[in-house]
This record gives sequence, structure tokens and C-alpha cells, in this order.
Amino acid sequence: MCTKPFSSDTSRAPVSERGHRIDIDTTADAIGASVTVNIDGNDVKVPLGTTILDAAKKIGLRIPTLCSHPDLCTAGVCRICVVEVEGQRNLQASCAYPISQPIKIHTTTPAVRKARRHIIDLHLANHYGECYTCKRNNNCELQSLAKEYGVDYFRFGHPDKPRYEIDRTSSSIVRDMNKCVLCRRCVRTCTDVQEVGCLAVEGRGAESQVTTFADKPLASVVCINCGQCINRCPTGALSELDQTDDVWAMLDDPTKHVVIQTAPAPRASIGEAFGLEPGTPVTFQMNTAIKRIGFDAVFDANFTADLTIIEEGTELILRLYKALVGGDKSVMLPQITSCSPGWIKYIEHFYPDMLGHLSTAKSPQQMFGALIKTHYAARKGIDPKDIVSVALMPCAAKKFECNRPEMCDSGFKDVDFGLTARELAKMVQEAGIDLPKLSKTDFDDPFGTATGSGVIFGATGGVMEAALRTVIELVTGKKVENFYDHADIIPVRGFEGVRIVELPITEVGPVPDILKHLLTDWNWLKGATLRVGVGHGTANARKIMEDIKAGGPFSTCHFIEIMACPGGCLGGGGQPIPTSPEIRAKRAKAIYDEDAGYAVRKSHENPQVWEVYKDFLPEGPCSHKSHKLLHTTYTPRGKFIA
Amino acid sequence: MLLTEQEKEKALISQLTEKHAHQRSALIPILQAVQADYGYVSEFAMQHVADLLGIHAAEVYSVATFYQFINTKPKGKFIIRLSRDMSSIMKGAKVVARQLENDLGIKFGETTPDGMFTLEWTNCIGMNYQAPAMMVNNEIFSNLTPQRVHRIIEDCGEEFRSHRPTIGKVGDTFTNTLTYASHQANSGLKKALARSRSEVIGEVTASGVRGRGGAGFPTGTKWNLAASAKADTKYIICNADEGEPGTFKDRVILTQYADLVFEGMTIAAYAVGAREGIIYLRGEYTYVRAHLEEVIEARRKAGLLGSNILGKEGFNFDIRIRMGAGAYICGEETALIESLEGHRGEPRNRPPYPVDTGFNGKPTVVNNVETLATISVILDRGSKWFGAIGTERSKGFKLFSVSGDCTRPGVYELPWGTTLEQLLALVGGEGAKAIQAGGYSGELVPASEFGRVLGYEDLGIGGSVIVYGQERDLLEIAENYLEFFVEESCGQCTPCRDGNVKMLEGIQLLLKGKCSTRYLNELIGLGETIKLASKCGLGQSSPKILLAINKHFRDEIMARPIEASH
Repeated sequence: MCTKPFSSDTSRAPVSERGHRIDIDTTADAIGASVTVNIDGNDVKVPLGTTILDAAKKIGLRIPTLCSHPDLCTAGVCRICVVEVEGQRNLQASCAYPISQPIKIHTTTPAVRKARRHIIDLHLANHYGECYTCKRNNNCELQSLAKEYGVDYFRFGHPDKPRYEIDRTSSSIVRDMNKCVLCRRCVRTCTDVQEVGCLAVEGRGAESQVTTFADKPLASVVCINCGQCINRCPTGALSELDQTDDVWAMLDDPTKHVVIQTAPAPRASIGEAFGLEPGTPVTFQMNTAIKRIGFDAVFDANFTADLTIIEEGTELILRLYKALVGGDKSVMLPQITSCSPGWIKYIEHFYPDMLGHLSTAKSPQQMFGALIKTHYAARKGIDPKDIVSVALMPCAAKKFECNRPEMCDSGFKDVDFGLTARELAKMVQEAGIDLPKLSKTDFDDPFGTATGSGVIFGATGGVMEAALRTVIELVTGKKVENFYDHADIIPVRGFEGVRIVELPITEVGPVPDILKHLLTDWNWLKGATLRVGVGHGTANARKIMEDIKAGGPFSTCHFIEIMACPGGCLGGGGQPIPTSPEIRAKRAKAIYDEDAGYAVRKSHENPQVWEVYKDFLPEGPCSHKSHKLLHTTYTPRGKFIA
Repeated sequence: MLLTEQEKEKALISQLTEKHAHQRSALIPILQAVQADYGYVSEFAMQHVADLLGIHAAEVYSVATFYQFINTKPKGKFIIRLSRDMSSIMKGAKVVARQLENDLGIKFGETTPDGMFTLEWTNCIGMNYQAPAMMVNNEIFSNLTPQRVHRIIEDCGEEFRSHRPTIGKVGDTFTNTLTYASHQANSGLKKALARSRSEVIGEVTASGVRGRGGAGFPTGTKWNLAASAKADTKYIICNADEGEPGTFKDRVILTQYADLVFEGMTIAAYAVGAREGIIYLRGEYTYVRAHLEEVIEARRKAGLLGSNILGKEGFNFDIRIRMGAGAYICGEETALIESLEGHRGEPRNRPPYPVDTGFNGKPTVVNNVETLATISVILDRGSKWFGAIGTERSKGFKLFSVSGDCTRPGVYELPWGTTLEQLLALVGGEGAKAIQAGGYSGELVPASEFGRVLGYEDLGIGGSVIVYGQERDLLEIAENYLEFFVEESCGQCTPCRDGNVKMLEGIQLLLKGKCSTRYLNELIGLGETIKLASKCGLGQSSPKILLAINKHFRDEIMARPIEASH
């Protein structure tokens, strides 16, 4: 697993602050590669360049932190982690101090304890708001620090009125700068991890604050709604737009038929909100909880993930056919996935002239929305206006996506509410339900349980792997297992920021029935090499897009998967807080384990998918009707703000 | 704005970014150039600059709002900035301020309705011995009186109408005989080039000269570290961001002995193997820039800069000037480097140090103006001569900028080892109550300790000496200092950003006689924390004034509650 800060190679931070762990081989034991330091009387041997903070961890010592985050470059600004280094006049920030010689460190001297206490006091003197009314109550790093250091009164006062107006303009993210502690994690996330650069620090000194370009409301700047800033905020300064009360109101309304689709990533994470280890899958317990809360039906969003594979895969085959056989120069290749609404808004802002590369297929959430208020409504005999369609997503941007004006192809708002995993957890807790203790409930028909391919949509490389499983079988007519053990296409997995995989197509089979309306044979693909790319985190997306523009290796790809969030959806901006590379790796493991446990693991083998095509979209994938319901268009937004 | 006007601005920005090869490091000069034409940097301009430099608009906004002299909102045609350093306040800056407000009909921080004048306070502009002083755009006016400012404002309007530039009026500086004056041009450089690089560093090390900016790091050691760092590119940076209140000796050196500074930079370049030198000149000294450009150009023509300097095969070096934009903190060397790279001037974490990872991640020597000028003299006259001056641990001579309650303020060259008493006698400040040695970030020394010595063993200061007479209210002085630090704190680290505000509020409570003894003790404790836990020298120094008053003049604090209760 990759342990370097996620942003280390894209960061704009000075070279000196890009994280001291980057180039260090932690296994090296050669002379000179490691150094022994003494921390509070204990000797510990660490690789040269290790920070004091990390060295202390080795001997089971937890130095408090606030601005430090495992995904981000060093900042050393909050100063809560200060320690005494013998021979140094001042206290040193342990997160920013690379060890280069044998030093003696003291972590709990009176001066250190007093300094930490003062720093907490100073934060509390500026931190407006009460813990009771805060979304991060019980999951707030400032609150924990205040408790740890026994803060019993506001030594330097406490604000009695807010300094800033709360920004609720965005449909995804709420910014309450009265709670900001200026740790700048959000700024580093937005700039380094995501390369969106919508948040920055304005002014200086006591007047400095985290804000947007020219202090504009979030809704009018280049925010992509990914919510990564929320996941890294230590306090309640950043949070999603809470819609739980709206959903409760719908659940309480007897005239409404409230259904929910659940994405794969929250299942591997929602347990964290109930004290479970990251990566404990609770899919079916969650279904029980959802039913108990009062939802009329719970669907597996993986169903439309499978549908996405069929639609997007067909679109890819058509693009390739037009380009390779028809010689059509207007066909945009590589085709890039369109599942991630943060990524969609990113490309609309930053590469508005490259929207043609995007697959026109809607995201699984919106496909499901369109089907629920058409196909499902008809089958159930319910007036679609009485259906409330909720989506449980690991994502903040899904809230924005379902509010896009074009997402009304059913004749109604296709998805009414996008809930984050955190919001659902809150509803379950509010209902007094101890989720891990619940019995298991399966998903509701008619969409049933999906395939393993749908599940892995939650991890970076998952969409690509799912698509490849299907494309390989459709094209070769042979089982994927003939090429990859257990149908695990390992090369596309992992956490590397960008990756390219080549798959030579050595043999072709007959065109399956479902595609016969589009082409007659596969011979044009024989001997070709399919090149696919994967990227996660929009800073990596930017690398890929710049590479395509420059005619680099990614421009020769046929298909690229891009997810806005580090790690893919499992690291989404709507997932439980905190996040770290370790937590994401555990969630990924849960997702791949779940995939391996499915009887059906390929999208095109999902019987319900074919049923939908048979009953509802008889003209097949990428046909007129499927285009109307399951495909969409994009808006070139650009990055200039009037 | 008309479309054509926008297109004109766009064309200007394109041309500017083109000129700087779309380098992010040029962000601040580009913003300054846009501002020179348009008076401010509009949202439109910031977005275009961002686009052409390949960075985000919010980043440009973030940088622009960091610097006091970059305007993101329109301001008056004449921006009047009155210095509020203690020397100015003591010499009547507040009366001058009232006159300005009356003349213009606006308060500080406002712009006249006709868009002609903006009135602002600013921190020390290096004119303390001719206080009060102010800047009108880039011009300096010193020795102000209410009558004089009244006239200056009238002149501004008149000159504007007749399209004449406003010209500042700076009086002469008092200096005692400076060693620099007798320096034979470039003799140090010539002698350096005749020797090997390591011999030059050896000479500098042997002289014992230490950084003249205030930190006092041994210059020879710094050069040696940079020289032995492995890198293809190295930089020499001259720190001319003389922002410490009460200091003006660098300005005097730059206006009178600029050649010595460039000579010193060239010697440094030769010693460590650098090809590029940058002088970071504070925004307040913009009016000195033209002169420096001339000196540099003359040196190029004379073969003292450029390729094969003085015929030394393969020794190539050139110097360019970069302007600061109103940020005291950029005098801190890593903040200065951040600023050079086009960022907010926020100090970096150290280690690593600039000699290893500096400008553009390359080994970088940052030396003060005076250090570099002194180097030229040392290389000419030798380390023995230099080492014979001063004390055992403090070698050589030092320039001091003296201002405040004394009859002969000015720049003094003195050997290290001089006592404060001797200095006071020299400048006509006998009978003082206290001396601020080393500027606001230095030390407040009470009269009982005037026997203390200027030198690294005791007061190894950067050069600022402010004399406080018996009638001065030290709490008012502390308030002035803390206002300065609150404003100039970069804002990244908690103790400095938030702690200094609490210190200032506490001092204001003390002034009102409303601070409980218990809270005063809390403040003293907080002051210790700010000193210990802040990221850079600013926070590490800012609370010292209150700690000193508490230690030496506690009755001045304690007396107030009684006074106020009447």
C-alpha cells in the first residue's frame, strides 16, 4: 500500500514541506539510513528524515495534532504538536521536524503542556458555536483536544456572536467559518489533493480566513462539490447540506412511497459511525435499518452500475467501431467515465472543450432515478409523483448532481434527495437503532441483488474492471477467468494515482444478440490492444487531461476511468469522518471481498438487467429510449467568474 | 468597464506573463505591474493572471490579499501612508494624522469621494530619524508638521492637474564616519577573485563576521554550507526588506554605498558557486529602485556583472531586483523565499534551511544588505583587520539606526562592544528611561541596565535603537508594538495569530485599568507560550515587550488600576 501523502507529487507546497516521508525507504537498514533518537527516555531507531511525530508513534506515544493529516503535506501551523528538542531554544512542531541526527526529545514537559493548553484556549477563544448544536459533536478534533487537556473554562474568553455569515449557497457543502480553526487542511485538500483550488486563505494575521475567490459564495465559484474538504475538516466548519429532516418529512407522509437506492461504498464504511472497524461490511444490516426507519423499498444501486456498464460499454464499442472501422475523425477517444459527479463538474469547469470525451451515460444514481419513476412506477402501479426517490451515496457531489436541471428525464425530478453515508447514519441513530446488531435483509425486487461488478464501482479501478469483465466476454465469447484468475483483473486495482493497463485482444468470438443491432462482427478488433487508464482524485484527473492534450500516453488510451475522490467512492466526500490511506485501504478490501463472495460477478450476467432491457428498453443499449432515459449532456462552465 | 478596456487589460496581462515566461514566481511583479497601470488588481485581472500562470484564481487572490501594497479594490490616485512606528508617534504623527483627516475630510482607511486620496496608516518606512514621515504613493516625505502636510496635499492636487510627478522630500541623514566611505571600489572583489573559493570562505569565516540582519548567524558557516550543498543551481539573495521598526541603515547603505552591496553579492556568488542573485527590496523603498538599477547596469557595463566577471573565466553572475509589497514578515528569510516564488510570505518549517533547500528548492544564501557590504570591506582589508575591531565574540563594526528621544538621531558606525551608555552619550540621549534595542522584536532595556554591551554576547541586535525618554508611557508603547505584530503576523500559526490579539487586548485592558492581576498573570504565561511555540521569529519576539514591562516596570502596570478607580 502507498503510504506517502496522497498529494505529495502534485503539491504546490514548497519542496521543504512536501512531507518528509516521501523519498524514504522505510525498510532500509543500511548504515546511515537510520538514526536512533531518544524520546522521553526511550530509544527508538527510525529512518533518517522521519518526523518526530512518526517516531513517537513507534513507541506508542500519541502526540496531539490538528493541522497534520496523513493525506496532506506538512503545514506545521497549528503548533499543538510542539515538543522540546534538547539544544533548541524554542519548542518544535513534531509534525514538521525531520530527524537527521540523534536528538533527545521530551514530549510532556511543563512548557509543552502549557503551550498545548494555551493553543487550545486560543482556538476556543475564536471558535463560535456550542458542541450540542454541532454536527461534529462527538467527532470533533478540537472537542477531543479540549477534553484531553482538561479545559475547564474559557481562559481567553469565548465569542458570543458569530463573525461570519454561514454560506449555505451550495447544494452540497455548508461553510461555517465561525468554527474554522485555520488548520488549512481544506485548503491543502482543495489545492493539492484535488487541484480545484477553490479554497484559499485570504488576508493575513488575525484577519486571515479561509475563503473562496474574492470571498464569493461557494455556489458561484469553481467548487466541484467533492466534499473532500469536509472529510478532512477537524471541526464542524465544513459539512454537507443536511437533508435528513426533509427525508424524515417524506417518510412521515403516508401519501408518499419513499424508496432508496444504496451505493456500494457506504456499506463498507457506515459501520464506522457505529464503532465498527473500517472495512466491516454491513450491507444487509443496513437494509434492515433502512426498512425500520420507514423506507418502502431499498434497492441496490449496483443494479444500475451493471446497467451503466452495458450502456457505457456499448457506447465505447460504438466509438471504437466508428473510429477504427468507419475512420470517423469526429469520434472522441479516449472515452472517459461519467459516474463521478465531482469529476463531471471538474471537467466542466477546467476542460470545457473536452466534454466530448465523457461517456454520455448517466451515473448509476441518475439511471436508477430515471427507472424508478418510470419502469418501477409502472410495474408497481404507483403514480410517479407520489414516489420519493432517495439515494444513499458516499458522496457530497451527488446532491448537486440530482439537482441538475437536466436530470428530470422521467418527467419528474429523477432523484429527490442524495443522502451521504453520514446523514443516513445520523437517521439510524436518531431512530435508536444499533445497526451492527440487526438481522439481515435482502434488497427489494424488481431490481434484486446485483453483481460483484456493481460492488467494485466503489473502489478506484472498479468501473474499469467491471467494464473489462464484460467487454472481454462479449468480444471473445470466452470466460474472463480464462485470462484472469477468478476474474480478478488485478492490474487495474490499487491506489496509484494514475495507471495505464494494456490488454491485447488475441481472439474474438461471435457478436452477442444484445449488440447485433449495432454491429455484425468483431474481426476489426482482432489483434488490437485495448489501452485503458485509471485515475482518482482530481489532481490526478488533471494530469490525465493535460497528458491527453499534450498527446501523451493517455491520449492513446481507449477508455479511462476517473473518480473525483482519492481511492474512488470509498474515499468519497460523504463517507464517515475521518479518512486516511489506511482507512480507505480497509474499505477497499471490504469491497473486493464482497465482490469475491457474489455468485454473479459480471454485469452482463445480471438477469435483472436483461429483464429491464426486455420489458422496458426492448431496442437494447444505446438505443433511442435508453438515450432519452439513461444518457445525458454536459455544460461547459469554464473557470471564469463574472 | 468597457469591453475594449477589458481587452486592453487582458493584452497587458498576456504581455506581462509572456515576459516572465509564465513563471509562477513572477506573480507578485505581474500584479504590481497591473496595479501600476490600473491602480488596483481587479477580479477580472486576477483570473486572467491565474489562467496564464496555470494556477487558480483563488491562489492569486490569496497572495494579493496578503500584501498590504497590492490593492484588490480601487483606491485613490494618491495613497497616503503615514508611518506609525514609535519614533513617528513620539514626534507627533498623531497630530499630523489629524491634520490629514481634516484636510481630506476622511478618516484613516477611507478614500475621498473624488477618488483622489486614500489615507492609511503604515508600519515603519525607514525614516525614524526624520519622523514623522509618510509615503505618497512611492514618494517619501519626512520631518512632517501639520503645516507641511497641508502644503503637500495641495501640491499633490496641483501636480496631478499639471501632469507632473509628485516628488518626495527626504532630508539628509546624519552619519558618523563610515568605513564604507573609504572603501576602494571593488577592491574586495578583485582580491577575492584572485583566490580560490574555499580561501574566500575561509577568509570570511576567519573574520568572524555574523549576519547583520539581527539573527547573527556566522556568515562563513552559512556560505560553507551552501558551497558544499550539491546542486546545479544556487542563489544569492540580498535581504533588503528592512522592516524592523526603527531600522534605516540598509536604506542608507543602498542609497549611498550600493556598489559595496553588489560587490559583496558577487563575492558570495563566487564563493558558493551561484550564477543568479536577487535583491529583495521592500515595497516602501520603491523610490530607491531606479538608483539601484543604474548601479547594476553600470556594473554590467564595467564587466563586474555578467559573463567572465573581471576576466575570471567561467565566473558568471548577474543580479536582478525584486520588489516586496508591504509585508514585514518577508524579512524572515524563508518567508522572503516564499514571496520570491510568488506565494504568500509565510515562513517555512525549518529544518530544512535555505542553504540546503531554498529558492526553487535550491541551495540559497540569504544575507542582509549590511552583511554583504561588510564582506566587501573584509575581503579588501582582511579578516585580521576586521577581527581586531570589536570584542572576543563579536568581531568588527556595526551600523546602528538611532531614533526616538535623542538630539542626534541617525546612522552610527560603532565597534561591537559599545555599551548603551556610550551610545546614548554619542547620540544625545542621556537620561533616557529605556532603550528598545533591536527594534520591536528586540529587547526593552531599562536605564538600570544601560551598562549592557552591544554584541552577540549580550545585545546582538540588527541595528535598530529607539530611545525612550522619562515621560514615555511604556504601556502605550506596548500597545503600539502589539498593534504592529497583530497586523504583520502572517496568520498561519496559532500562537502568533491568535495569541498576539489576546496580548493586545490585554494591554488595552491594562491601559484602561481594567485588567485583573490574575488575568495579567495569564497573559504573561501566554506570552511565554507565544515566544516558545510560534513558528518563526515574529511570534517568538512579539510578546517580549509585555514580558519586559512586567519584569522591569511592573509598577507602571500596577499603578493603573488605582489611577483609573478615581
